[in-house]
Amino acid sequence: MAFLTSHELERYDRQIRIAEIGKGGQEKLKKARVFIAGAGGLGSPISIYLAAAGVGAIRIVDRGRVDASNLNRQVLHWNDDIGRAKADSARAKLARLNPAIRMEAIRDTITPENVAQLVAGFDLIVDAMDNLPTRYLLNKTAIEKNIPFFHGAVHGFEGRAMTVIPGKTACLRCMYRGPIPEETFPVIGVAPAVIGSIQATEVIKWIVGIGALLENRMMVYDGLAMRFTEFRIQKNPDCDHCADTSGKD
Amino acid sequence: MGVQVHIHKTHRVSTDGKDVVQAEGNCVEECLEHLVKQYPGMKDVLFDKKGKLRNIIEIYLNHESAYPDELKKTVRDGDEIHLTFMLAGG
Repeated sequence: MAFLTSHELERYDRQIRIAEIGKGGQEKLKKARVFIAGAGGLGSPISIYLAAAGVGAIRIVDRGRVDASNLNRQVLHWNDDIGRAKADSARAKLARLNPAIRMEAIRDTITPENVAQLVAGFDLIVDAMDNLPTRYLLNKTAIEKNIPFFHGAVHGFEGRAMTVIPGKTACLRCMYRGPIPEETFPVIGVAPAVIGSIQATEVIKWIVGIGALLENRMMVYDGLAMRFTEFRIQKNPDCDHCADTSGKD
Repeated sequence: MGVQVHIHKTHRVSTDGKDVVQAEGNCVEECLEHLVKQYPGMKDVLFDKKGKLRNIIEIYLNHESAYPDELKKTVRDGDEIHLTFMLAGG
């Protein structure tokens, strides 16, 4: 078990005081290795809160450069970062937020050819992507490698989150009905702030081993109505991603 | 009686702003047909030119995913249908 230094005991004191976390939970967080796919609207709050919580190692991957139109929601990136690689911007901010963690930011596109290598050695995968094809690629990879997958997506004032535990729960692909057209989605920053925070909460709970995860549950957030609605998702026995792994136990 | 069909915010332009529409039918498909009869604009929202449910549309029956074969699912008086769509943004 990872040993906590006196500095860490002080830094994480407020969350160590939470009965469900304690020193043991903080040690689990320190030992954890989290892969975050995307350093945009969702990736910003996810990475910020996981770094702040003391997750020991974070790898964040993003292919893009900071654009002015990102700044309404991608709070990792600031005005001075326009034109800078998001990976570089993310690395700089997160390293300043918590220099004690192992922070790795990679500028790359997640593809079928490199995804296995990118996630190798990581305990879980967090979905902070801006498109469905890459989400499905990550979902498939997570199931093949038996790595928990934390899904999130946003649109406008709305968002959703679901946690996929390979071999146990429904996956993102279980409801797949076919490709959908890509769009430049509308979004206000507070939507990914809410959903990214939910994903980070799920990650922390899974690492520490506490609470009830969003397993077989799609949590849908409507910021305009200020309402959370929960939908049950059944495992699809014919799912082309998870049926072979999970349907035979 | 019948069922309550919950309309997603972005689709309410086709239902005169209504967030919930009453519909009748023995299965989801019949309820959606009744919905379209009341609000014809919902036809293009839900179905493509060949009459196939659009890939982006999600249907939940009594807060549970109706996939697969959503349209064939049996409904009873008092049931709730939620129509929403896949989100892709991040």
